[in-house]
Amino acid sequence: MPQFEARSVAKSFGGPPIFRDVTLLADRGLVAVTGRNGSGKSTLLKIFAGLLRPSSGRVEISSGGAARPPDRCRRLVGWSSPEVEFFDELSGAENLHLLARAAGLPCREEDVRARLSQLGLQRAASRRIAEYSSGMKQRVRLAFSLLADPPILLWDEPFSNLDEDGTARGMAAVEERRSAGLVLIATNDRRDLSQPDAEVVLS
Amino acid sequence: MQKSSFLSAAIAVFSREARQELRRRTTVASVLFFALAALTLIAFSITTLAIAPADRSRLDSGMLWILLFFSAASGLPRSFVREEETGTALALRKVAAGETVLFGKLLFNYLLFLAICLAAVPALCLLQDWTIQRPAAFALALALAGYGVTMVSTFLSAIVSRAGQKDLLFVLTALPLLMPLLLPAVEATARAAAAAGDLSPYWKVLTAYDGLVTCGAFVLMGFVWEG
Repeated sequence: MPQFEARSVAKSFGGPPIFRDVTLLADRGLVAVTGRNGSGKSTLLKIFAGLLRPSSGRVEISSGGAARPPDRCRRLVGWSSPEVEFFDELSGAENLHLLARAAGLPCREEDVRARLSQLGLQRAASRRIAEYSSGMKQRVRLAFSLLADPPILLWDEPFSNLDEDGTARGMAAVEERRSAGLVLIATNDRRDLSQPDAEVVLS
Repeated sequence: MQKSSFLSAAIAVFSREARQELRRRTTVASVLFFALAALTLIAFSITTLAIAPADRSRLDSGMLWILLFFSAASGLPRSFVREEETGTALALRKVAAGETVLFGKLLFNYLLFLAICLAAVPALCLLQDWTIQRPAAFALALALAGYGVTMVSTFLSAIVSRAGQKDLLFVLTALPLLMPLLLPAVEATARAAAAAGDLSPYWKVLTAYDGLVTCGAFVLMGFVWEG
């Protein structure tokens, strides 16, 4: 099982750091990332996903005897954020299928449809993203993060815009994965978290 | 990444771009509209001038490259800029390395450039009564120089996509970078059209330029893409 390690991570965008000294060492369980608005929860998850570089500190994932930064082992980390958008002209299934192929996954369109079904989008899979509601787009984001079946899942505000069914499906995915891998959820709403195993509080 | 998985990932990026464009048609439409407008203006202005036959080929070649450069400049910079503006770049950045994305988008943009050539060259020949004496050499000059234009435009699009004043920045940086390519390109197509002189020095210059910008872009793309 891959080991996730973040040591003394800090980030600033030119000014004073928005957070500093964030350390996390985990390989499984549910970790909550909490903090007020602007405390850097989304930024921290982007750093953990390898989409941003930390100003100081380091993030590594150890797997198969090698420790690599997250942007060198993309398939091990699934990431979802409200900032992620998809091509309006393509269907949910097309968007995810092409992204899976761009990720180098041996993924058929049927596999993508199964992932969308898991999030309750089986009937909407062939519709253009432009026709989706904000809740349906959020479900596609969650399905996107699950594409590679990654052992590490980073979810930023995963249940925003979701109805009861969507939230239940998302929660089920979290429960399924927390025993076999690591799930990090950044949220302002503590109802999104069912008894986290650890918490990273950003102030 | 292995060669085969790099290629299949790049082809996925290309397919994503092509499918979106086939349904949207904004880039192709704007590029072709620009080319058509420029051709019409040329037809109504230049053809009335009395120009010596010896100068015609160079003039037509110059007009062709003006048309190709500005048509390409109206469409190619959008490839990365649109991804950043609509927020779709994040998903792509999460799954694919910069080099893969660059190659996929380069492929799409190059085909778009060749499509512009396929529409513009016969139209210009017809309107200007321009006969191309050595069509194979002419096509090779277009293909080599067109690759350079596409490579530079695609890479610059990646750079300016995360900056302010994107369109202005693109034109201001593209023009000086493409000048060393466009000048021999005009000369090569003019000579190929008129069947005048030896073209081998131009092949060397165009190939060297293409090789240089390709190496530069692929070496630097990681820094541009991952920030």
